[in-house]
Amino acid sequence: MIALENIVLRQGSFELRNIGLELAAGEYGVLMGGSGSGKTTLLEAICGLRKITSGRITLGERDVSQLPPAERGVGYVPQDRALFPMMLVREQLAFGLVLRALSQAQIAKRVNELAELLGITGLLDRMPDKISGGEAQRVALGRALAHRPSVLCLDEPLAALDEELHGEMCRLLERVHRETGVTILHITHSPSEARRLGGCHFRLADGQVQRDE
Amino acid sequence: MSDPAPPGYRTASDKPFLVGLAVLGGSYLLIIGAMVLADLVFLNYSDRPVLGPEMVKQGRYTGGEVTVSVEPSRGYFFRKGKNDAGLQLGEQHIASDGLFRAAAGQAVLLPRASGRPITASLRPEARVLRIAVTNDVATVTTDVAHGLLWGEFIRVSDAGGPGWDGVREITDTTTNQISFAVANGAPSATKLSFSKPNPLVQALRSRDIRFSIKLSLISCTLTTLLSLWVAVPIGYLMSRFEFRGKPVIDTLLDIPIVLPPLVVGLSLLILFRYMPEWLSDAVVYKWPAVVLAQFMVACAFAVRTMRVTFDQIPQRFEQVALTLGCNRRQAFWRVIMPQARGGLLAAGTLAWARALGEFGPILVFAGATRQKTEVLPTSAFLELQAGRTEGMLAVSLIMIAAAVVVFITARTLGMKRIFA
Repeated sequence: MIALENIVLRQGSFELRNIGLELAAGEYGVLMGGSGSGKTTLLEAICGLRKITSGRITLGERDVSQLPPAERGVGYVPQDRALFPMMLVREQLAFGLVLRALSQAQIAKRVNELAELLGITGLLDRMPDKISGGEAQRVALGRALAHRPSVLCLDEPLAALDEELHGEMCRLLERVHRETGVTILHITHSPSEARRLGGCHFRLADGQVQRDE
Repeated sequence: MSDPAPPGYRTASDKPFLVGLAVLGGSYLLIIGAMVLADLVFLNYSDRPVLGPEMVKQGRYTGGEVTVSVEPSRGYFFRKGKNDAGLQLGEQHIASDGLFRAAAGQAVLLPRASGRPITASLRPEARVLRIAVTNDVATVTTDVAHGLLWGEFIRVSDAGGPGWDGVREITDTTTNQISFAVANGAPSATKLSFSKPNPLVQALRSRDIRFSIKLSLISCTLTTLLSLWVAVPIGYLMSRFEFRGKPVIDTLLDIPIVLPPLVVGLSLLILFRYMPEWLSDAVVYKWPAVVLAQFMVACAFAVRTMRVTFDQIPQRFEQVALTLGCNRRQAFWRVIMPQARGGLLAAGTLAWARALGEFGPILVFAGATRQKTEVLPTSAFLELQAGRTEGMLAVSLIMIAAAVVVFITARTLGMKRIFA
């Protein structure tokens, strides 16, 4: 689950006040908001990449407000995907697992499992500059899922994709959600995309989050 | 919507613009190429004869032709001055510079115009009179003063016996004699010819310059490693963190770049007056001073380069790495440093090249003691001071070669990163 209580965030003159949001475990949440509304900032705060002035962030059953990003158990897919340029796709997927000192066999098993789920088995030995945008999105998703986070934060995952890939990626996200049971918070500026994805809808506007029923 | 372009709209040709760019860029490239080429061409790569004293006293002759007596069939070296038309020996006319064999006993120097002083140079080739060997040291007596100095090198040839030919270091000189070691038990020779090897050979054989090559290579490498060791953390800090006083620190970091290098050396010298005696004794005018002087300037460039390198790597990578389970240290080593390799190489090369060329601060802070604190720029300076332009040029060529090797190595390593 994701629970935000009375979050206050300041970044220069920009401010979010008393933000509250609740998403039950295993739900698919879509957070909408125009550009500049602070969606990404809020997502970064959940991941621990941005300090909050006050408030409480609960992920899973833990209060993570004071924890470093590494210990929050989140998977983060930024809008630009940020695949590590010097690593093979295989190494990207294994990154979080190597850090957790898993055995070679366990890592290989998990990487193959993820590659299968995301349909990128053929790309494992390529460098990130040799794959397409849609493929990069899948790799970034796989990298974020590898260490079995309880929460997956997706920042505009469909924004840079063309219409055809758009539908394909939507189905993939639904499949990932179904098969892994991870709580997903997906942010987007497009209401049509939100309608297509289902789940719980939130709207961030004027520094407030509202739940759309 | 803006109005569409009217029909028949035409823009001016791009040609003048592109030609302008090419001309401006090209002229600079041309100067760079010509500059290096000039060094390579100017240096005389052939051996030169050992010459006796000047036979024409400069500025003494003012009125018309001058007659000098020469020995027939002896070798002379003639260099035409700007006032001279050449040299006449009976039928033989010498108009160009170089060694010639005299045909007649009288040489007439011809001025270009009467009333202008003779500026030519005429010197006899030194000939070997006697060769003596004692305890494997050969002493060669010449018929004229040879002008060679202790520590210089000569190339011995045509000696006949084994153990003679080759480049030999002169171990002792008098006006008319030179001594050099020959191979153990070499039979004594009755004749030999000798010449001065080209300046590059002289430089590479010289113990002082060999030392300075060694010291330069070692100190530059040390400086580079030290600079990177400091530049990486500073560059990363300045690129990633915001803190109070950052603009002040930014300015401080640039001070070594904007200060005249000589002042850096002087400041270091003065700073070490306040240091404990054991420390300043160990550093000032010793080799550590060379490294420290190089480091102060080279490091500033390395810091600049590393900061730009880190600035160009988006913070997003670290953020993702942090959510994947890294702490800051792990994110830095696993994600950022692999991407900064190109910049690291560039910073290292830049620091190395700066350190190689550093002269002013070293002169002030480390001195210019032969075999102690002499680096290649110091050698070049000492050669120039001793009036040996060719020696200076030879040292410069060694520096050019060292820099080229380092740049090519760095480029090749950089390429590997791209093609991997």
